[in-house]
Amino acid sequence: MHTASWHSVGMTLDECIKCNICTTYCPVAAVTDKFPGPKYAGPQAQRFRECGQLKSPDISVDYCCACRVCNEVCPSGVKIAEINARAKAQIVADRGIPLRNWFFGRNEKLGKIGSYAPYLANLGFHNPFSRYMAEKIMGVARHAPIPRWSTEGSFEAWFRRMPRLKSDKKVVYFHGCSTNYYEPQVGKAAVAVLEHLGYEVIVPPQNCCALPMLNNGEFPAAEKLFRSNIAKLLPYADQGYPIVGTSVSCVLVLREEASEMLDIENDQTRRLRSALWDMSEWLRDLLEQDKLDTDFRELKMVLPYHVSCQARAHRMGRPSLDVMSLIPGLDVREGSARCCGLAGTYGYKAEKYDIAMKVGEEAFRFVRAQGDAARIVTSDSEICRWQLEHGTHKFCRAPIEIFAAAYGLYDLDKRRLITEKQK
Amino acid sequence: MVDLIVVGAGLTGLIAAYTAAKMGQQVKIVTKGLGATHWHAGSIDVLGYYPDDAMPVTRPLEMIQDLVRSQPRHPYAILDGTIPDALKNFAALTQEIGLPYAGAANFGDNLWLPSPVGAARPTFLAPDAQLAGDLRRSEPMLIVGLRGMRDFYPALIAENLTKQGQRARAAFLPRDLITDRHDINTVQLAYALDDPARRSKLAAELKKLAQPGERIGLPAILGIDAHAAAMSDLQTQVGATIFEIPTLSPSVPGVRLTNALRNQLRQLGVRVEINAAVIGFHAEGDRVLWIESDASGRPLKHRAGKFLLATGGILGGGIDSDHTGKVWEVVLNLPLAVPRERGQWFRARFFDPAGHPIFRAGVSVNRKFQPIDAQGARVYVNVWAAGNILAHADPILERSLEGIALATGIAAARNASEQSTVSSE
Repeated sequence: MHTASWHSVGMTLDECIKCNICTTYCPVAAVTDKFPGPKYAGPQAQRFRECGQLKSPDISVDYCCACRVCNEVCPSGVKIAEINARAKAQIVADRGIPLRNWFFGRNEKLGKIGSYAPYLANLGFHNPFSRYMAEKIMGVARHAPIPRWSTEGSFEAWFRRMPRLKSDKKVVYFHGCSTNYYEPQVGKAAVAVLEHLGYEVIVPPQNCCALPMLNNGEFPAAEKLFRSNIAKLLPYADQGYPIVGTSVSCVLVLREEASEMLDIENDQTRRLRSALWDMSEWLRDLLEQDKLDTDFRELKMVLPYHVSCQARAHRMGRPSLDVMSLIPGLDVREGSARCCGLAGTYGYKAEKYDIAMKVGEEAFRFVRAQGDAARIVTSDSEICRWQLEHGTHKFCRAPIEIFAAAYGLYDLDKRRLITEKQK
Repeated sequence: MVDLIVVGAGLTGLIAAYTAAKMGQQVKIVTKGLGATHWHAGSIDVLGYYPDDAMPVTRPLEMIQDLVRSQPRHPYAILDGTIPDALKNFAALTQEIGLPYAGAANFGDNLWLPSPVGAARPTFLAPDAQLAGDLRRSEPMLIVGLRGMRDFYPALIAENLTKQGQRARAAFLPRDLITDRHDINTVQLAYALDDPARRSKLAAELKKLAQPGERIGLPAILGIDAHAAAMSDLQTQVGATIFEIPTLSPSVPGVRLTNALRNQLRQLGVRVEINAAVIGFHAEGDRVLWIESDASGRPLKHRAGKFLLATGGILGGGIDSDHTGKVWEVVLNLPLAVPRERGQWFRARFFDPAGHPIFRAGVSVNRKFQPIDAQGARVYVNVWAAGNILAHADPILERSLEGIALATGIAAARNASEQSTVSSE
């Protein structure tokens, strides 16, 4: 078990007045008996987990999907989701980690291995027999929307292959594993937008943000990844370059979650934090400084926007919505669903798949309610996009792809840059 | 940029935002979490005990006149006779939003409603579903609970009511009548009763239990989105008068009121920014330009022409304190009326009928509900305050919490809306 003090997160435990507002709004407790609700699994059970206890008293906390709705509605500022995450880490420390969860924590390695031969990897893993076996042997839900490896090569390979804009204005791009190996289009759209705005894009060496490991209670391994990213990114932060990310969950981990859960808060994490931006948040900041090119083309469509729990956890308002609202013709509909259900790696687990789909129903219903006019759906988190595609059979695109399309740089249907050759 | 930012989403914040939006203001609510409406019984207390908590009040609006004469700094005194109007407006609004409230049959009297332990609770307005619980009515009561439901024990309620001279008996029904879930809270039970089939099963069992002429008291879980249908279905199918007894939190009547008001706000274009704990502000001269809320990367700025604080008192989190005796207002660090020494916070006896001085601590305001300092000077030209953050009242002791929330929330929002916005750029 990680030996950090339980100070900052643990102290908020004392603020809990047991009002039950968190349990009232918990999307998981609403659909299953396996999770008694954040108050019980969090602040209540925490009293039995303090030092001196050998074993964690209650494994129901494993059914928390980490969406943080509890933190959001708590009137007293209790960091319930973090208390739960630490309790999960305690369970892993006590009992070891299931092989499946060990694999989930290493999605960067899986991405890399698969990307050597993506066609083969997709065929090998994404066929009904393999998925059936993966469920039986490993407990990986066979219908869950696990992404396919990109067959157009990794984002990093593309980035290095193409001639890049040079400029005095520089910005660092954190792409995250999913953009690199599964959805390079998102990264291409980001680079296109940044260069369109006159910025030279730097893509430094970087590694997994550690979210899958934090979610699965592997704190010591997560700490290694976090410290490695600090070492790789801090020199750029110290040169005054903004570091922007298109994965809202990676940015959340790098900026706050890892520090909080692992109890690593120091001058370095603070310097890195102040340089890090969510892409839409950074564009909104340009807008507020009157530096954003707002010469958007008309995008005539209805666009349901699912506000992912990770975007809400940033507490930065609705930057994607603020920027999208400038695009002429675009009818953005903001949803109020609490969570898509997939929540990191939660919905990939066989024993949790049905729960995840029930939780997601609220978001699916919202998307369906927008009717056939809504062909495309957007959300800041790749996880939510995959789950919404799975649950609604509509196309999902990242907000940065919408912006790129509005600048005339990107084809939303074919999901590629206008400048890319037809394959 | 919005005209008015309301900080806080309790009853005060919701009603203030509604009032200002109705007056044509662009309004946004900024709130740390969801409001205290989830904790309260859903009824509107105006004045339950005065001058101390041994003296129940029968005619609150008349008694308020006594109160304002002897306590000229009490929020009710500042309202200057607008309380009946505020209550009337609120009652009209509840009709409009499909969650009607009413008072005692003899208008102007307090209702006496049973609490979840069977104590008599003086309140002025209550949702229709609670009205038949009035303890001055004569029909005997059958209190029915669900076995396994926490914090609602019909035998305890009936016994306490009997001790107070009421005719009451208790019964239990199995919980699986309305849910298949093992462990479930009041709000989830209420959602279960949105289902007409579940209601019918419950009605059939109640019908077997009820004796002619009895009114039936149930925990306040009778539907949430379909509450009105749930009430009328049950009464029709059972053929008896049914009333709800509010439960410990989460309180479904409070959640219904929150949902109904937030629905109105949505239609009026009012955004509610939740999980936005205010951690800083920027003022120039006597004007607040923006407030900042805590966020993962950098504080989020919220600019507006005017700001209305509805952050609550010590329980609500609008006022904080530490062990050294420091007490402060959390958003704008406004001057507070508070006992100078920590030793003066409490009286010697825990249940002192006069309450404890610290609970009267808060922000002093002028007649426009704008915060003032110890010398009586207005602190900022574009700031208002309402609700439990106000000093010189002890709403828990007086049972005046929601009355103060509504009347001061409406008054402060009106004053703020009437002041022309001066650009803060």
